[in-house]
Amino acid sequence: MSSASPEVRLAGGRRGSTWRGRVFYALLLLSLAVGFLTLGTLIVDVFRKGIQYVDGVLLMNPPSSDPAIAGARPAILATLYLGVLIIAFTVPIGVGTAIYLEEYADKNRWYNRLLELNIQNLAAVPSIVYGILGLAFLVRGLGLGRVVLAGALILTLLVLPTVIIAAREAIRAVPGSIREGAYALGATQWQVVSRQVVPAALPGIATGSILALSRAIGETAPLILIGALTYISFNPTLLGPFTALPVQIYNWTKLPNAEFKGLAAAAIIILLAMILLLNAGAIWLRNRYEKKW
Amino acid sequence: MRISLQQELDQLEAALQEEGELVLRALRGCLGALVRQDVELADEVIEFDDEVDDSYLSIEEGIQSLLARQTPVAIDLRTVLAVLHVNLHLERMADYCVTVAKLTKLVAGAPPDPTIVTAFEEMGARAEEMTRVALDSFAERDASRAESLVELDELIDRANRRAVQQVIALGGDEERREWGLRMLLVSRCLERIGDHAVDIGEQTSFLVSGEFREFTDASH
Amino acid sequence: MVTMSNREAEPVTIVGVDTLDLAERDRSMPPPETGEVVFEVSDLTVSYSEVPALKDVSLKVYKNFVTAFIGPSGCGKSTFIRCFNRMNDLIPTAEVKGTVLYHGADLYGPQVDAVEVRKRIGMVFQKPNPFPKSIFDNVAFGPRVLGMTDDLDDRVERALNQAALWDEVKDRMKASALSLSGGQQQRLCIARCLAVEPDVLLMDEPASALDPIATTRIEDLMHDLKRHYTIVIVTHNMQQAARIADMTAFFSVDVSDGHRSGVLVEYDTTPKIFTQPSDKRTEDYVTGRFG
Repeated sequence: MSSASPEVRLAGGRRGSTWRGRVFYALLLLSLAVGFLTLGTLIVDVFRKGIQYVDGVLLMNPPSSDPAIAGARPAILATLYLGVLIIAFTVPIGVGTAIYLEEYADKNRWYNRLLELNIQNLAAVPSIVYGILGLAFLVRGLGLGRVVLAGALILTLLVLPTVIIAAREAIRAVPGSIREGAYALGATQWQVVSRQVVPAALPGIATGSILALSRAIGETAPLILIGALTYISFNPTLLGPFTALPVQIYNWTKLPNAEFKGLAAAAIIILLAMILLLNAGAIWLRNRYEKKW
Repeated sequence: MRISLQQELDQLEAALQEEGELVLRALRGCLGALVRQDVELADEVIEFDDEVDDSYLSIEEGIQSLLARQTPVAIDLRTVLAVLHVNLHLERMADYCVTVAKLTKLVAGAPPDPTIVTAFEEMGARAEEMTRVALDSFAERDASRAESLVELDELIDRANRRAVQQVIALGGDEERREWGLRMLLVSRCLERIGDHAVDIGEQTSFLVSGEFREFTDASH
Repeated sequence: MVTMSNREAEPVTIVGVDTLDLAERDRSMPPPETGEVVFEVSDLTVSYSEVPALKDVSLKVYKNFVTAFIGPSGCGKSTFIRCFNRMNDLIPTAEVKGTVLYHGADLYGPQVDAVEVRKRIGMVFQKPNPFPKSIFDNVAFGPRVLGMTDDLDDRVERALNQAALWDEVKDRMKASALSLSGGQQQRLCIARCLAVEPDVLLMDEPASALDPIATTRIEDLMHDLKRHYTIVIVTHNMQQAARIADMTAFFSVDVSDGHRSGVLVEYDTTPKIFTQPSDKRTEDYVTGRFG
């Protein structure tokens, strides 16, 4: 006994949604293109102007009014020192704060809630405000002077909220089941945090710190404000006057001589290279140690 | 895998085999009492039935507990069901032994007919053999050996039918006839013991093949 | 002695046959009344933010028995088992009233250190939670934090043997624990507990995240482990409780005072619960007629 089954229509009907889908897709591609093209144009422009100046002279010589022998060695070194100091300061303070907030703080207490609120706000404060702050309290107030240490401290304050937030995210991503398992074996809170939570959160913390650092070394406004001098011919020291790469770039672009603009472009390339390296390192770290819970 | 289920099944089967040994002892006892007209032995056999009953109850409880807790399926379920039935058959066999013992006591003192007594010795031996075969083939899951019980049963059945003729041929006085009638009952008991042994064999076949079938139709 | 004509030559005497006691044979455990008590719970009530999740529970847990807690969801059995190793301490809103005695000592006494409690009373969770470390480091974590670092390699091997996992991992002790299958991960978590040589093993639905074969392996493991440890297990699978538990406690939800709280309905030997429960609620639950 056969029965005729109703015709099953599987072919796509003519409905507006396919059309709309395609338009949406096209708009997405367009926005992507805008972003990339802008960025691409900038980079290409910088490269064209500056690549010829990227050589040993740029890297090894101190600045000079003669563009032929001007280099950015003190600035590059200062930026490196700043980088190291920033990491040395932000990681302990930032990770420590994050651990406190996530593992130890009673979220119902008013001071903890105040702390959380402030961290969110501080992340949004413009960098120049940190510069003013640094100038008032560190350079003049503490009497440090316009030195690398002061610059590092200010930049630390600038990126600290970001590091705290990133560390908190990394710590939160560690599942509660890991903590429970550790407690159930008889571990104290400190043992759970130090032996399970922090090691598991380390890749996330490292990634966040490196990204914060790459932002910090590109900051110009606070450094200018605290007086990173434009003309240093000797290598910077911790407690001595200095200039950093972004500031050096800024100052070269102000000079009338067109060659200095080329040098500035070259210095930009160096700075971009440093940042790119840091970001690539962060991504590599994240991919290598990413945990699949 | 499933250690506890396996252990419990093994224990149940071991208990069953031990019960089988008890039944064999009861059988030998009641036959010995019958043949030698030993009233004391008959009394012992009757008392001994308590042991078999205890074993029967114990296995019943074990089965109930196992079914409730282990939810056996497939071969395990068939094993449990087979143990359940065999347990019942063994208990019935023991009861028939008690009946024989009681009959022995009832006819104590009356002169026996040697032909009939010899016939009983034969039937008894057959019954014992069948019980042994039934228990062994169950333990070894040997279905073909279990089927051989049918032939052995034939022998007892024939002997049972002959017993009627022999009792009629007895003739003689009332005491003789009474003895004869009681002996007919004994013969019937032995024949039923043989039937239960065949039933045990059928359980073995069920366990192995998964299908239950009677070896012979009762109408034969 | 007159012997039977045919078969065996053994004398036919019936007197003196040993009694067959099946009950004694397949229950190698002492019956509850004579067993050693490990936990004695009296009038235990656990509340979260004042709302009682579990009310007035009293029972005894016996040594080297597997005790199972069964019941519908929300009946407080997980809350209950977490009282035995003070894991409810980690929940700020939890409040425990009543007493839990462990070998006669009050678990919630003022001088009692939760770390000491958890050293002796281990816990395995529903979803296997191996640490993101190597297999060796997972099992070694407990001994390390508790300072039991002598013969660490031996401890780890013994624990993995007891958890029936050693043969499968002995050649890859440095591999990540996350590379194991679900069933292996759970046995690893069991090994982790055993490495600190506890007295009691608490298991909160240990097999519910596992496939049937892995589940059977865990059940067989529990059968072996109960010779040396006391095991308490929560399970929503009552057939599992029927298979492995010696004692079963049935919990149900009581709504009489306006809140849904868990109460202990019946606690008895497993065969009794599953063949002839005393309480109708228990019977409704185990027969599956409970809505």
